[in-house]
Amino acid sequence: MTAVVETEGLTKFYGRRRGLEDLDLEIRPGEVFGYLGPNGAGKTTTIRLLLDVIRPTRGRMSVLGTDPRDPAVRGRIGYLPGELALEGREKASEYLAFLGRVRGGVSRDRIAVLADRLDADLSVPMGRLSKGNKQKVGLIQAFMHEPEFLILDEPTGGLDPLVQQEFLAMVREVRGSGRTVLMSSHVLAEVENVADRVGIVRSGRLVAVEDVAALREKAVRRIELHFDAPVPREDFEGLPGVRDLRVEGASVSCTIDGRPDALVKAAARFTVVHLVSAEPDLEEIFLTYYSESEEEEGRHARAGV
Amino acid sequence: MPALVSKGLRDYRRSLVRWTVGIGAFFGLYLSFYPNISQNQEIYGPQALAKFPGAMRDLMGGMQDFTSGVGYLHSVVYQLFGPMLFVVCAAILGNRAIAQPEETGTLELTVTLPVDRRRLVFERFAALALGLLGVAAATFLFAWALSAAVDMDVASGRILAAHTGVFLLGLFFGALSLAVGAATGRRGPAMAVVGVVAVGGYIVETMGRNVDAISWLRWVSPFHYYLDGRPLYQGFPVGDYLVLAGATVVLLLTAILAFDRRDVGV
Repeated sequence: MTAVVETEGLTKFYGRRRGLEDLDLEIRPGEVFGYLGPNGAGKTTTIRLLLDVIRPTRGRMSVLGTDPRDPAVRGRIGYLPGELALEGREKASEYLAFLGRVRGGVSRDRIAVLADRLDADLSVPMGRLSKGNKQKVGLIQAFMHEPEFLILDEPTGGLDPLVQQEFLAMVREVRGSGRTVLMSSHVLAEVENVADRVGIVRSGRLVAVEDVAALREKAVRRIELHFDAPVPREDFEGLPGVRDLRVEGASVSCTIDGRPDALVKAAARFTVVHLVSAEPDLEEIFLTYYSESEEEEGRHARAGV
Repeated sequence: MPALVSKGLRDYRRSLVRWTVGIGAFFGLYLSFYPNISQNQEIYGPQALAKFPGAMRDLMGGMQDFTSGVGYLHSVVYQLFGPMLFVVCAAILGNRAIAQPEETGTLELTVTLPVDRRRLVFERFAALALGLLGVAAATFLFAWALSAAVDMDVASGRILAAHTGVFLLGLFFGALSLAVGAATGRRGPAMAVVGVVAVGGYIVETMGRNVDAISWLRWVSPFHYYLDGRPLYQGFPVGDYLVLAGATVVLLLTAILAFDRRDVGV
């Protein structure tokens, strides 16, 4: 199966300012791809290139197997802009009907179902909608024509937690039906629950692409084990991946790098009455990527002087 | 009707109604003075008008004849204020085609629709042209009915000829504002260019009749192709109007090519 997005050396300069440089990215059919990076890193630049809103300085890209210059391909994409502008006296329902018509027809019922799920009021003039309600209208228009490929730029901004949950459910349904999603964010927590892979972009460069499962495996986590009787410290010392070991009577606590397998097997020799494992802090790994590439940038900068 | 054209007309609707009412009110107000003026030839006759400085008379289109129906209609409505109202209306609509939505950010979603960029500009222009045509048609009917009501004794064909010229002139400036907006994505430059070309063009055309130093510039003034043929007196100046229409097409093509090439919203 061909990739949904494929870019090679994709580069965009705004005058002399770098927006994005040498991006090689592949997004596979049926996956949810999280595109992460701080504000101004190049996420929106990438997305706007894929949609032909802006044109690359150099490099090659294909979206759904064709050049994004071809307008027909955009009908197969649903797009939520990062800064969605909706204004005027026009009602959201009229605007959605217009967008649906241009994209080849969307039924009223389909729009009504989505509005109901996201609890959006479409009868209000768009200029008077709050930020959160505008975002809902943006999500409805992105999802309503059941596109093969959804591009969502910072989709959860302004949404309250309940609507965020509903939105994540909608993303999972899209993946469940074999369609593809690209969603950007500046925090990992927003995408880690739905994304299969994440790409991390910083200062216009892609610094890493990781499987979320692999990222979890790499994650640092605290584990606490409680036994029915005191355990000997020696049995837990020197286990691979175990750090900061503390044994106090019947309880053992430590930090795990990667897999907890060795620890679990060591603990299995005793009677475990209680086990606590804190959620892995992916944010921490994520920040490591940031700071590493920051140091690298710093080195380049010093070398350049 | 293509979705983008009907959407454009829907966006323009309120504005179009307001301009129709405004231009209609202008016509109504000025034409209602006519009976008073035609009955007081001694006050408004040629001798009275001769008191104005020559340059000022030039700017007002000569003002040779103020008391006949056709002279009054021309001097007061079709010389300066009528065309200028249409120019401003069309320029504002032209700015709302690309530049304004680009500045506010609403154009971003529009360009990601499965519509070719060139078609997008063309359909926005089509909405502008249809909207302006609606304003022109409604105000023409009003002007014609009013001129008959106050016994101006001007043939409806002549009023139609002048009104067509005003429409074409307006459309030209609408296309100019659309083209600058499509090329730059900004409202300010579009309005500035329209302002300079409209005011400069009008001065060059009117003053240029008697000032040799700038008379050669008249042929580049859009107003030349409306005023020079004196449509209210002589009927349709077909050649001149074709030049105006042709220039509008050139501007539209420029807008289409410029918008097709560039980044949107940066």
